[in-house]
Amino acid sequence: MVGPLEQAILALMIFVIMLGMGASLTPRDFSLALKRPKGLFIGVVSQYGFMPLIGFLLAMTLPVSDPIKIGILIMACMPGGTTSNIFTYFSKGNLALSVLMTVTSTIFGVLLIPIILVFYAGALDLEIPRENIIATLILLLVPVAIGMVLRKFNANVGAVTEFMGSLLAVIFIVFLVVSWIPRNWAFLMETSWGTYAASVGLGVIGIMIGYNFARGLRLHPRNARTVGLETGIQNGPLAIAIIAFTFTGAQAQSYMAVPVLYSVFIVIIATLVTFWFRRANTAAEQKMPDGLL
Amino acid sequence: MNSEDRPWTKFYAPSVNPEISTSAYNSIGDMISSVAGTYGTAPAFTTCLPNGMNGTLSFAQVDEMSDALAVYLRDVAGLKQGDRVALQLPNGLAFPVAAFAIFKAGCILVNVNPLYTAEEIAGLFATSSPQALIIMDMFAHNLPEATKDHPIPNVIVTKVSEYLPTMPKAIVGLVQKYWDKSVKPINTPHIRLPAAIIEGRSKQKADAIAPDSYRSTLAPDDVACLQFTGGTTGPPKGAMLTHKNLLVNMEQTMELLSDSIEKGEEIALTALPMYHIFAFTVNLMGFYWLGARNILIPNPRPLSSLKRAFENYDITWLSGVNTLFNGLNNETWFMDSPPKHLKFAAAGGMALQSSVAERWLEITGKPILQGYGLTETSPVLTFNPLGRTRPNSIGVPLPSTDLCCFDDDGKPVAQGERGELGAKGPQIMPGYWENVDATAETFNDGWFMTGDIAVMDQDGYFEIVDRKKDMIVVSGFNVYPNEVEDCLATHADVLEVAVIGVPDGAAGEAVKAFVVAREPGILTREIIRAHCKEHMTNYKVPKLVEFRDDLPKSNVGKILRKDLRSEINAESSET
Repeated sequence: MVGPLEQAILALMIFVIMLGMGASLTPRDFSLALKRPKGLFIGVVSQYGFMPLIGFLLAMTLPVSDPIKIGILIMACMPGGTTSNIFTYFSKGNLALSVLMTVTSTIFGVLLIPIILVFYAGALDLEIPRENIIATLILLLVPVAIGMVLRKFNANVGAVTEFMGSLLAVIFIVFLVVSWIPRNWAFLMETSWGTYAASVGLGVIGIMIGYNFARGLRLHPRNARTVGLETGIQNGPLAIAIIAFTFTGAQAQSYMAVPVLYSVFIVIIATLVTFWFRRANTAAEQKMPDGLL
Repeated sequence: MNSEDRPWTKFYAPSVNPEISTSAYNSIGDMISSVAGTYGTAPAFTTCLPNGMNGTLSFAQVDEMSDALAVYLRDVAGLKQGDRVALQLPNGLAFPVAAFAIFKAGCILVNVNPLYTAEEIAGLFATSSPQALIIMDMFAHNLPEATKDHPIPNVIVTKVSEYLPTMPKAIVGLVQKYWDKSVKPINTPHIRLPAAIIEGRSKQKADAIAPDSYRSTLAPDDVACLQFTGGTTGPPKGAMLTHKNLLVNMEQTMELLSDSIEKGEEIALTALPMYHIFAFTVNLMGFYWLGARNILIPNPRPLSSLKRAFENYDITWLSGVNTLFNGLNNETWFMDSPPKHLKFAAAGGMALQSSVAERWLEITGKPILQGYGLTETSPVLTFNPLGRTRPNSIGVPLPSTDLCCFDDDGKPVAQGERGELGAKGPQIMPGYWENVDATAETFNDGWFMTGDIAVMDQDGYFEIVDRKKDMIVVSGFNVYPNEVEDCLATHADVLEVAVIGVPDGAAGEAVKAFVVAREPGILTREIIRAHCKEHMTNYKVPKLVEFRDDLPKSNVGKILRKDLRSEINAESSET
């Protein structure tokens, strides 16, 4: 259940998060992405090839209701989240690659998400309000563009916006924990283990497959860790926003269960993975002399 | 000497003045105020943090603030002309304000590497006995220990976010305090830099003080700066650099590059630390003098920290060391979108490897001009003239600078022969601070002896073939590590390399290479040796090859062969 006030806060938060993503970008990043189609390819394949497929298989095999299945599919089809950049940073991954993957998956998402979503939903015999989702995705590009203009106009405003955006992505999770979860406690208690399994599995399997896929393509371990995190960490707030703006009333509660649970669990999963990656990180970064400060 | 003895002057561009032995300015303070009068509200210094947050001071602001701080130092803190003021700052907006204030106050600036240990700092303080210290808060926790034997009466503390706009300043402050926890409590009585400036400003108004009165009694030959040299053993030696040394060297260097510098139009990236003499003279002073905007990078590690600076500013000039250029050559974002407006890059501090220079030219389309100098020479002695750069060469001497190679008996060697490089010129220090013996050892009949082995070709271009003491002798043949390193660096899978001599029975010494591979596991000893054999005669090929994850480096990125040597010595004495 999402009230009008919460909906407004949600909209504002997602707006600032996307604004922050835009502020981290320059037009140069796009030409750069096109220059290195390999990175682009890996990003798109892992984000829109593997993740929706994982979601589809989870939805098909786990004993969950139809609204939960739709929640799983929407969550699985989302682009990479800005939180992945934070985790990449702390796991000593390749931050530039992470940002690039988040951005390309967001832009490609406008086109790919509705197609993939409808395809898998059709396979599972589910109804998806495609137009609403397309409209929401296009609306999201507006703050991204504004963010880019802000950065161009004033580097300080851009940097502050970017910082606020990634901070808000974290605050968003806290917001969920203190606002949505307590009020839907009873619902969550009744929710089947399948819902929880899907919420956890999406992130864990996504990170594993992304990492091994990148290693299989002979990417440097540092870049492979980045691809892993980027694949597994989806834009949770976006999924919640789409559902909040598309479905109403009690219906929304079930649709939203997986995205909310996913958003909360992914923080825990990504933190554990980050600790593990940090330990695995050896001499991968270009070593600069300790001085040069 | 006359121009007949300086064959290199024919390589100067026609507009270059071949004689610059004095400066139009009496002191550095005069230069600072005069330049501020010309460029006024134009941006002089911009700090750019890794996330793009930035702050800027104009020429007029830096001038006014350094005046106020000079008043604080002289009339509030009570310092006198010639008192030492230590400066322990990474790059940031506080640096020019503080450094310029020290010069204007007629005090002597002592540059201290902020990353030194308390013990190393204590050594510098013992030698220079500063009356005041301007320090970054992140490093101030060392103070109780560093000043144990030599208390410093006046401590002024600044921070990374100093003079940034309110929001970025607040964010950086909060992140440092609660996230990084990089600022520890300071247990030494101190005043904050902005407070000191405000106090100085009100004193200046109240007593109608003209800050230029402090420098009216300064002579060009008065010491402006003590620059401590690293790399040698024993107690630290402080090179005394005078106002004239620094001013003339800044003018000599910029004169050689003058054809491609537009006054008031350049944007210089200052990624090297300004406590190092290269960035101090060339960037802090030289580019300021030319009305350029200096983009100050507090910490270029990791190199991705430079990405935003390159994106947000149209960098036209970059000064760096081989390590920095090599690092940038290996950053994807840099390769994919090299700076469009770059005119040239200047390299100094250590030998520029020809493979690094070539790769840089390939990526950016602009050459790296290699220069050469030492702390004791303010630092620049030579530079490659624009359009006439030669690979592996340190170029030609600056205007009014004489260089000559000497044999072991102190006699000049014939042109084309190897010899220890000696230098004469207006940029050469009068001597080391309170160290007559070291000074006497360094000068030979008026020539400052560099300790580097060089060759002058028939045109007057110089090439450094090695440091005197790094030479390896294999069965009577001389091997110069630089040559072997340069060869190894051309191998595509070699990221970094250092070569030293190790004891080796009958041969006396063997060449040993320490290699950092671009990716672990792809190189073997056989590959390395085969590569060398292709390019060099047998005795130069490393007999021993050791693969490392990284190499010991000095604070400015010089690979420390001596550390590798002492490791080897320690190992052999154990067995």
